[in-house]
Amino acid sequence: MSQENPLHHFELEPIVPIEVMGIDLSLNKAIFAMWGGMAIVFILFMLVVKGGLKTIPGKMQSIAEIFMEFIKGMVGEFIGKEGMKYFPFVATLFFFIMCCNLIGLIPGSYTITSQLVVTGTFATIIFIMTLIIGFAKHGAHFLSILVPPGVPKIMIPVMIPIEIISMLARPLSLSVRLFANMTAGHTVLAVLFGLVLSAPGWISWMPFGFTIVINGLEIAIALIQAYIFTTLTCVYIGDVIKLH
Amino acid sequence: MPQFEQVSVFASLGFWSVVSFILLLVLLAKFAFPPILAMLEARENKITGDIRGAEDLKAEAEKLKRDFEAQLKTAHEKASTIVQLASEEARKIQEKTLDETQAKCRQMQKETEHEIQTSRNQILSEIRGYVSALTITSAEKILKRVLTEDDKKRLVDESIDEVVKSLEKQA
Repeated sequence: MSQENPLHHFELEPIVPIEVMGIDLSLNKAIFAMWGGMAIVFILFMLVVKGGLKTIPGKMQSIAEIFMEFIKGMVGEFIGKEGMKYFPFVATLFFFIMCCNLIGLIPGSYTITSQLVVTGTFATIIFIMTLIIGFAKHGAHFLSILVPPGVPKIMIPVMIPIEIISMLARPLSLSVRLFANMTAGHTVLAVLFGLVLSAPGWISWMPFGFTIVINGLEIAIALIQAYIFTTLTCVYIGDVIKLH
Repeated sequence: MPQFEQVSVFASLGFWSVVSFILLLVLLAKFAFPPILAMLEARENKITGDIRGAEDLKAEAEKLKRDFEAQLKTAHEKASTIVQLASEEARKIQEKTLDETQAKCRQMQKETEHEIQTSRNQILSEIRGYVSALTITSAEKILKRVLTEDDKKRLVDESIDEVVKSLEKQA
């Protein structure tokens, strides 16, 4: 019973079984929800673009432009002049995480970002990408990122392991932050909704009211977490480009 | 937690989320982002251009204003000079006219005096003639005799002098 276990709705069952070379790639509710969110984002963008972009924008165009300007500003601020070539990646990451977070708020849907394996995969890809960018741009000099400027030479043997741990903690914190926020929010919602169903009629309005409030809060958290994930990605890319 | 326990879905979730992300990235980067970014840049350029144009126009307007003010100042100065010159000219003309009028008046006065004097002399001469004729006639009748030319002249002159004196007294 979902009322008994608030984590029950995180369980996934295969809907379309697919197996490639012994690996289970079955499609499940989370993947369909993710595709639904992506489709909404893409369709909204296409509506804006195909509707004809105007110098004096309409409502839809204004919203799209606000998001684009926002991400453009973020890229410019944290990565710098070279940042615009990473703009498509950063913007897609923002819209992808945002749509995945928001689509999960629809009852019966699923938040794929509440899966640590998904957030971990993205965080790992971003981490590897930053290493590739760093080595491609600076070569072996990129390793100087492990020695903060102004550190006395005697401290270098101590600082390098600390910096390595700090670097490795980045993808970990990035993935756990998003996963934990999404999981916590949906768990709270599930608990409150369970209370609505199990509480006597005269008092059930109270958890139901909280459900509405928390749902509103979850919308904000969905946007904020997408922003944080994207901002930290920009910061990490900016760090390897600028090297301190 | 199912997120840690359902190991069987890890590969599926990881694979499809990455594939889906790449697909979304390709679609948005190809169809959505470029036109919107181009529009943002075009608007930014237009706003920058408009602001620059407005600044240029403002600078031009200020220059024109300065030019007009300078021209206005010059025109005021010219007008003042013209008024001053006109006043000076008017004053000179007035003085000249006054002098001429005065001279004319004096001339007319002189001529009038001269005419009066001439008329007076003429009148006196005529009176002298009438008086002499009258006196002679009267004297001839009184004396019943003929006077010599010298007597006539002496008597006439005496009579005339008396008449002239009495006339002058009356005048």
